[in-house]
Amino acid sequence: MGSDKLLFIEDLHKYYGKHHVLKGVNLAVNEGESVVIIGPSGSGKSTLLRCINLLVKPDKGRIVFDNEEITTGKIDVRRVREKIGFVFQHFNLFLHLTAIENVMLGLIKVKNYPREKARRIAEEALLSVGITEELWNKYPAQLSGGQQQRVAIARAIAMEPKLLLFDEPTSALDPELIGEVLKVMEKLANEGRTMIVVTHEIGFALKAADRVVFFDDGKIIEEGSPEQVILNPKTERARRFLFSIRELYRLE
Amino acid sequence: MGFAEEIVYLVSTYGVSLFNAMLLTLEITSIGFTLGVLLGLPISLGRVYGPLPLKALLAAYIELIRGTPMIVQLFFIYYALPLVGIKLDAFTASIIAIGLNSAAYQAEYFRMAFGAVPREQWEAALSIGLSKWSTITNVIIPQGVRIAIPALTNELIYLLKYSSIAYFVTVPETVYVSKVIGAKTLLHIQIYTITAVFYILVAVVLTKSAKKLEERVSIPGLVVKGRI
Repeated sequence: MGSDKLLFIEDLHKYYGKHHVLKGVNLAVNEGESVVIIGPSGSGKSTLLRCINLLVKPDKGRIVFDNEEITTGKIDVRRVREKIGFVFQHFNLFLHLTAIENVMLGLIKVKNYPREKARRIAEEALLSVGITEELWNKYPAQLSGGQQQRVAIARAIAMEPKLLLFDEPTSALDPELIGEVLKVMEKLANEGRTMIVVTHEIGFALKAADRVVFFDDGKIIEEGSPEQVILNPKTERARRFLFSIRELYRLE
Repeated sequence: MGFAEEIVYLVSTYGVSLFNAMLLTLEITSIGFTLGVLLGLPISLGRVYGPLPLKALLAAYIELIRGTPMIVQLFFIYYALPLVGIKLDAFTASIIAIGLNSAAYQAEYFRMAFGAVPREQWEAALSIGLSKWSTITNVIIPQGVRIAIPALTNELIYLLKYSSIAYFVTVPETVYVSKVIGAKTLLHIQIYTITAVFYILVAVVLTKSAKKLEERVSIPGLVVKGRI
């Protein structure tokens, strides 16, 4: 494994009871690369992301992250999670904290920064995702879905993670709010951040991804450049899935 | 004398001792409740997030308290503890009995409230590297306590009335003093009317204050306004 590999997943398996969710996933992600994972719902994409930041414990296989195997029992889970930002489908902002407090919590409690420093970093992170000052003291329930998701992205990037994971970040949004979130994600990809994005937004994949992975039934079926996988898939399963998504886009 | 005059007579003659008795009721209630919060919160945390033996121990404690009458618990503390050398005055014994009893119920209210905090809040906290304990103190407790306020209000009003069990160990609280005055004057209905009005007034004030508190700490935007 080369040293430019930030993440290396080997033969990863996960069972939920008898249900075999991940059936031997192999994936390597280079530093600075943005990878888009597409595939039907229930195929295990979210579980894969949750295994990477150890919210879900894989049953078999290896994950090496930042030159360290994180699937052994000895690992400090919190240190790994601190280095991996996670953006959820339903934003999952802390409901009792304002936008800026959401971003500051990890900086104060995990990185042990003094309040002033945490505040400065949080302000910068919020501005970078287009959340301006008048929204900083709003509570999540007072923000639109698009604003909430951008605050959630700010919360993730403020921790200066080495890897960003996005779990269908626009699936819970009103169509007219999807654009503002995708724009922020495109910017992050262009800044050279390492990211793995589970999404159905093939437009985003074509614009911002370095590589696209097609996932089905707990396995990677096909991977390659965005143009190749999305516009000209080799496998029949990927062709069928992408055809229906492309049809949908054309209708819109 | 008519009913109203009799009430005026009772208040003017026994006003001071009634007032002191009511103060004692409020003292027993508030100290007992506070003790209940201080014990109930850690009990619920241990019961939900603690190691298995602690969980079992605390569950057993809650079953023991809920499974026996409060009056038996009070008698045990007042009459049985002196046998092992712990002698408490009636007032202290009452507060401890009420506090220990309320702790078990409050622990259950807190447990339900913590369970009502969405699972996603846990995931979000863990995903930025917070520890389990840090997640509990910074995310679960602040949200859970807000959820628990209505149930805790209920508990407080319940204790206000059940603080009268102190009567059985001769604490001169409201019911005890009312009984004495009733026996002396034979104006039983009149004196208990005064007592009932006192309890109702306090209960109404507590309900209104709790409502205010609930509104003040409610998370902006999250609570549906205009509900009764």
